[in-house]
Amino acid sequence: MIAKKNYADKALMKKTLAMHEESTSRRKVDDDVHDGAVPAYLLDRENTTRAKILSNSIKQKRKEKAGKWEVRPVAEDEMFKVIRSGKRKTKQWKRMVTKATFVGPGFTRKPPKYERFIRPSGLRFTKAHVTHPELKCTFNLEIIAVKKNPNGPTYTSLGVITKGTIIEVNVSELGLVTPAGKVVWGKYAQVTNNPENDGCINAVLLV
Amino acid sequence: MVQYNFKKITVVPNGKDFVDIILSRTQRQTPTVVHKGYAISRLRQFYMRKVKYTQQNFHDKLSTIIDEFPRLDDIHPFYGDLLHVLYNKDHYKLALGQINTARNLIGKIAKDYVKLLKYGDSLYRCKSLKVAALGRMCTVMKRIGPSLAYLEQIRQHMARLPSIDPNTRTVLICGYPNVGKSSFINKITRADVDVQPYAFTTKSLFVGHTDYKYLRYQVIDTPGILDRPFEDRNIIEMCSITALAHLRAAVLFFLDVSGSCGYSIAQQAALFHSIKSLFMNKPLTIVCNKTDLQPLEGISEEDMKLVMEMKSEAMKTLVAQGGEATSDADVLLTMSTLTEEGVIAVKNAACERLLNQRVEMKMKSKKINDCLNRFHVAMPKPRDQKERPPCIPQAVLEAKATEAAEKEKRKTEKDLEDENGGAGVYSASLKKNYILANDEWKEDVLPEILDGHNVYDFIDPDILQRLEELEQEEGIRQAEGEEEDFEMDGEELTAEEKEALAVIRKKKSLLIQEHRIKKSTAESRPTVPRKFDKDRKFTTKRMGRQLSALGVDPSKAINRLRERSLSRRGRKRERSTDRGHDDGGAMDMDVDQPNKKLRLRSTSRSRSRSRPPNEVVPGEGYKDSVQKSKALKLFKKSAQKRNKDARRGEADRVIPTLKPKHLFSGKRSIGKTDRR
Repeated sequence: MIAKKNYADKALMKKTLAMHEESTSRRKVDDDVHDGAVPAYLLDRENTTRAKILSNSIKQKRKEKAGKWEVRPVAEDEMFKVIRSGKRKTKQWKRMVTKATFVGPGFTRKPPKYERFIRPSGLRFTKAHVTHPELKCTFNLEIIAVKKNPNGPTYTSLGVITKGTIIEVNVSELGLVTPAGKVVWGKYAQVTNNPENDGCINAVLLV
Repeated sequence: MVQYNFKKITVVPNGKDFVDIILSRTQRQTPTVVHKGYAISRLRQFYMRKVKYTQQNFHDKLSTIIDEFPRLDDIHPFYGDLLHVLYNKDHYKLALGQINTARNLIGKIAKDYVKLLKYGDSLYRCKSLKVAALGRMCTVMKRIGPSLAYLEQIRQHMARLPSIDPNTRTVLICGYPNVGKSSFINKITRADVDVQPYAFTTKSLFVGHTDYKYLRYQVIDTPGILDRPFEDRNIIEMCSITALAHLRAAVLFFLDVSGSCGYSIAQQAALFHSIKSLFMNKPLTIVCNKTDLQPLEGISEEDMKLVMEMKSEAMKTLVAQGGEATSDADVLLTMSTLTEEGVIAVKNAACERLLNQRVEMKMKSKKINDCLNRFHVAMPKPRDQKERPPCIPQAVLEAKATEAAEKEKRKTEKDLEDENGGAGVYSASLKKNYILANDEWKEDVLPEILDGHNVYDFIDPDILQRLEELEQEEGIRQAEGEEEDFEMDGEELTAEEKEALAVIRKKKSLLIQEHRIKKSTAESRPTVPRKFDKDRKFTTKRMGRQLSALGVDPSKAINRLRERSLSRRGRKRERSTDRGHDDGGAMDMDVDQPNKKLRLRSTSRSRSRSRPPNEVVPGEGYKDSVQKSKALKLFKKSAQKRNKDARRGEADRVIPTLKPKHLFSGKRSIGKTDRR
């Protein structure tokens, strides 16, 4: 560990030395280019004109607005664990959820004999660390509901939270107000990590 | 009592080092090898162990920090106030509180993550959960980094505080800056305090120790106090105010009569009056220093008046203690540390007054009765009015006088040595005072070996006396030896003697036979303690027989025993008619009455009135009867176990059957018999 630190210091030292040396050596200087004019080495090429740049940024904005990014699909055998039941342990119709879940505050289990999907209480979460994308600060907010799980409607109804799930969080402590003057107390956020691997739910607020 | 030694607090590492230490310890002390092919429970256990171990280490280290730092409310108020003055109580408490919350948070984190780890179903998942747990704990530590740095600074400063014992005899020196307090303490103790011409040379409390009347006093030098309102005082002045306020000490208020400290006597008097409330109940002495520059008599009228006012104030404290008017001079003293005149007088005065006050307090307190009850001076009651002074014979008085004279003029070896050139030059002749028959032999060298023998083996100062004694013994022994040449011939015995001889020989052979039988059957025969008497040997008949063989009438003894027999006393009244059938041997075979106490009492009734079993006999080595009864109990308790096993004693480790049949043969009802 100390060796790592020494190595890091050495690398930093080398960089600063190189930087100091740079100032004394000579460097190739580009010709000053007028605004709008194309520099010499770009002549005879197609301009990556502003138009394309524009479209890229528009696409990005649209993507952000939609709030969807690449989500790895989760297989059913990864999501559920088969629980054997019955006197001879031959019946296999029960499933235990292995990912983080959210159940509402008024949740009561079905009678154990009849419950098909078991959501263990150790994997139930009530709070999420939500980042505001513009303010760049994170708040610990309560989850109100699971809105949509990209892996399927069954998971949404079960309340399973995986990466990319849209959840609704209680933002009353941020003190947001609608233009009409009403207090906003619930907003959507999208989960950005794998909660079962980290033990906590990190989400980004969808503004 | 808490040791006011703040040097023993362990070092508080800063945040980054703390984290490094704990994480590297986790890495070294927990198993490191894990493979994704292992059973899932093994994987979970592996990672849970790491999380738990890290949490435990954090907990331990943070707990030591919290415990070792003193709690300001639990220590002596002097130290509590001093630490408050120096470090600000609130900051201190806050820092420690933060450490406490960090400890609790880390505990919670560990608990949550261990719960989650139970659901980990792959190596990757367990591993990332462990990484998350450890990372969170380290973030908590990062947040308390500033508190740790603050506590480390405090610890370093506290270790350098002077170790002042607030309960012992203390002399406190106070006054304006530059009046000569530090020079005074340098003179009377071994403390080496800085003395400089500028004010506030002394910036904190210094302790020195001095002796007076075989007792140790601690002398505390304080930084100078200026005459300011209480709220304006800075930390340095507050140190001395704290010391004044909390320590029950003799106070020496220093006054610079020459004014060379830069402050006039008026200013110093003003200071005195403003802090005189702190001198309550303390023996106060006003010391006028620097009298070599300006003697006390030479100061002006107004100054003298001020000094007298201060003196009267100091006298009030003296009177409050119930002091005598004769010690008027003790209240106002003059001295000069430069010329060293009066320094010792001041010290003695202060120590004396403090000692008197402390003794008075102790006499008044309740604890003194415990001490007073312990000793008692016994004066013999005078029988009559005749006076009996000690009687010293005249010769002794004269001898004493001459001895005293002689002692004065006796020349010591050291003087001789000094005369003749000192330690290296003159060596004293050690043989000079030998007492020998001939004085010329004094300087002779003693030979060590003579004729092959060591001379020292033969030297003895009493050798002549010993020789005489030996010869005497020889003479006596020879005389006795002649008497003992009396041989046992058969012809010289009379008939009676022959008979007696035969009886004795028979008895002896019987005993030997019995012993041989006992020995041969020892291993197969259980040894039962005598009191159970399986063979019914100890009967009154036997006793009667033996006694009559000796020629004593046994009937009286037998009757007495029968009277005192336990079975008789234990049986109910209706059965009293059966007394005749009672076998005398029931006396000590009474297994129905296992009450040992009763039996003891009965068998030793003749002694019971004079000595109960718990009474301490001098010579037995017991401190008191409690100890004796405890020893008896222990003895009986240890004997009980042995008796149950029919063992003869501690060293009896006989096994009756080495190969019991039921263990070495037979089938089992359940299970296999492939090992026995």
